[in-house]
Amino acid sequence: MSSPVLQPRTRVSRLAQEAVDKARLTVVPRVRSRAPRVPFVTLVSLVLVGGIVGLLLFNTSMQQASFSASALQTEADTLAAREQTLRMELDDLRNPQRVAEQAQSMGMVIPAAPVFLDLRTGKTTGVRTPSTPDQSIQLEPPAPPKPAILAPAPTVVEVPAPTTTDPTTTTEADTQATAGADSKPQKNKQARKNRNR
Amino acid sequence: MMRLRIGFVLIAMVLSFFGARLVQLQGMDPKSYAAMAAAEGSARLTLEAERGDILDRNGVPLADSIRGKMVIADPVLTAGTAPDLARLLSDRLSIDYFKTLDALRGRKTGSRFEYVARRVPSTLASDTLDELEADGFEGISLEDDPIRDYPAGDVAANLIGYMGTDEPLGGFERTFDKQLAGTDGLATWQSTSGKGVRIPLRESTLKEPRDGTPLRTTIDGDLQWFTQKVLAQAVRQYRAKSASAAVMDTRTGEVLAFADVPTFDANDPTAPGVKADDRVSRGMTDTYEPGSVEKVLTVSSLIDAGKAFPRQKFKVPPDLARQDRVIGDWFDHGNIRLTLAGIIAKSSNIGTVLAADAFSPPQLVEYLKKFGLGQRTNVGVSGETPGILTPGDQMTSQTKDRVAFGQSLSVNVLQMTAAVNTIANKGVRVSPSLISGSAVTDEGQTVGTDTTTRTRVVSKEAARGTAKMMERVLDPEDGVAPGAAVPGYLVAGKTGTAQRVDPDCGCYDGSTTVSFGGFAPADDARFTVYVVVHAPGVDGGGGSIAGPVFSRIMGYVLGRYGVEPTNGTPSRLPVEW
Repeated sequence: MSSPVLQPRTRVSRLAQEAVDKARLTVVPRVRSRAPRVPFVTLVSLVLVGGIVGLLLFNTSMQQASFSASALQTEADTLAAREQTLRMELDDLRNPQRVAEQAQSMGMVIPAAPVFLDLRTGKTTGVRTPSTPDQSIQLEPPAPPKPAILAPAPTVVEVPAPTTTDPTTTTEADTQATAGADSKPQKNKQARKNRNR
Repeated sequence: MMRLRIGFVLIAMVLSFFGARLVQLQGMDPKSYAAMAAAEGSARLTLEAERGDILDRNGVPLADSIRGKMVIADPVLTAGTAPDLARLLSDRLSIDYFKTLDALRGRKTGSRFEYVARRVPSTLASDTLDELEADGFEGISLEDDPIRDYPAGDVAANLIGYMGTDEPLGGFERTFDKQLAGTDGLATWQSTSGKGVRIPLRESTLKEPRDGTPLRTTIDGDLQWFTQKVLAQAVRQYRAKSASAAVMDTRTGEVLAFADVPTFDANDPTAPGVKADDRVSRGMTDTYEPGSVEKVLTVSSLIDAGKAFPRQKFKVPPDLARQDRVIGDWFDHGNIRLTLAGIIAKSSNIGTVLAADAFSPPQLVEYLKKFGLGQRTNVGVSGETPGILTPGDQMTSQTKDRVAFGQSLSVNVLQMTAAVNTIANKGVRVSPSLISGSAVTDEGQTVGTDTTTRTRVVSKEAARGTAKMMERVLDPEDGVAPGAAVPGYLVAGKTGTAQRVDPDCGCYDGSTTVSFGGFAPADDARFTVYVVVHAPGVDGGGGSIAGPVFSRIMGYVLGRYGVEPTNGTPSRLPVEW
């Protein structure tokens, strides 16, 4: 199998050898490149320097963005926390206990039975029952009684009734009594304050 | 030549050292070194999932999660300035000075991590930290620590439960923890200073946290508050041991309020004076004998079975001798002639026993089971008691006599409310629910309004007849509980007074459980209210103690939901003949 292939190849190389032997070699004149080298070098250097500076700037700006991102994140967290705190305060204000305390201090009472007013006819349905202060519900359990040592029996001093019926004296006595009555609750308040501590 | 050789030898020695180090690094334990390299300058942060809120039926939060911080000290850095730092911290955060001082000095020697305060509102904590840093203190840091807040304090606290330092400790918080807790997320990134600013284009991962799903209950917050206040006032007024009350929407079975007294503030579950018992829902976990309220179940069953009718006439003797003991009534009487309506209106044990003679024990028990007695209501309250109902085939006739008027069986409050509600709902029992929609408990049970079932227990006529008889209970002349009436409305109800069992000795201890269960408007019921007061310190029955509480709650709920009086004709059933 190998011989038919080998034969043409040897023939071809022999022919080529003859052609080379016959060929005349002449010196080709050297082509001188006239293109200036400086612009190219400048361009390449510019691209290089530009690339490096650009990359640096890009990196710096990313770093900067990262800083501002974390600052903004912190701010967002703070604001979210603030919002939640405010929502909690709102929920505390909505506490039925607080609303009821305010309403009762304004003299409002939850009625024992509802009465409906029809706005079109102006008529009421249901039995109208008066709401009285004793219907108001106890919002807080009464304070536990104080031990005797903290709540001594009041000292009662009997003042003999004034014998004169002079109107000025009466007025003066009245004023004194009022003053006494005024100062008493203050004392009580003081006492309560102390106990709370 | 010599110099060159020495140089080669030296170079070979150095290179062989490098080679040995290389083998050590790469061959011996390469992973730990790689991990150390990665840990250097990498930061990781657990992103806490926000715990789901627990809402009332109108979406008002009963339990709410807000962001908080834990304040942590590194004693190595803080020990030097401990007194000044402790003063500042205790002032700003309202915490104990001496405990803070201990933490700042380190509770153990060499400790580098001490809790100074936990669950501090986020804004307060970061403001304080800013102030500390401005004053030049160091060694204090903050970490996320969510706060669970209960804005309404004790409202529905017994149902909702409360949180411990890190885990839920009771109520819905624990039962539905899986749903409420959510899943924490995780963020990792490369950083220049361990934490804080991340290096861009470096490896970072983020797994977003999945917040917990809110749990919506059927409780109406304002109504729940009102019920608790009225009940607490009654407990004080009658010097009772405890009390429970339930308000149920007749048609849907939704529980609008379920109150237990004494209760506790969920924000401060370990306050002095709060017993462990006060922190569970006693109405669900404790059994008691229902007393005469149960008579309406017996009587409606009898009517349904065609064995009695409201105007049926009975001769009621002063006492009734049965096999082992004598049954008496709460009031002294000679031989009286009562109708079935009269037996209910005057709450006669003897009359009920005589009427129930038409039933065999299994027949009565079968009906009571259909009313839901002896089995859990499965509303999502863990620790619920099924109550005690002796099976019909094991029940003696004496036990049956007592069961017929509500003794020798025990129930929980919600079971009984749902049973009375069956009469209100024209004989169809609606299974009660406390959860809106559906939720899965820690035991894998799906509960909520989506799983509500309706079963007919007694016929519409039997329920109607029983309701008519129950109206007579509130009659000022013929009934025993005029105090339970709501002005303007037709109200049907039944009192109950039962002896209490002392759990220690298993015997009746002489105290009583008084109750009142009823519904309004009687001819087209919208709400069922059931009130139970345990061991009142004054003499009285269901009518005089629980009745007024019922009236107050019923009046409020009718007004709150805008249910106008029906102007129906009041029941005129005769009580005597």
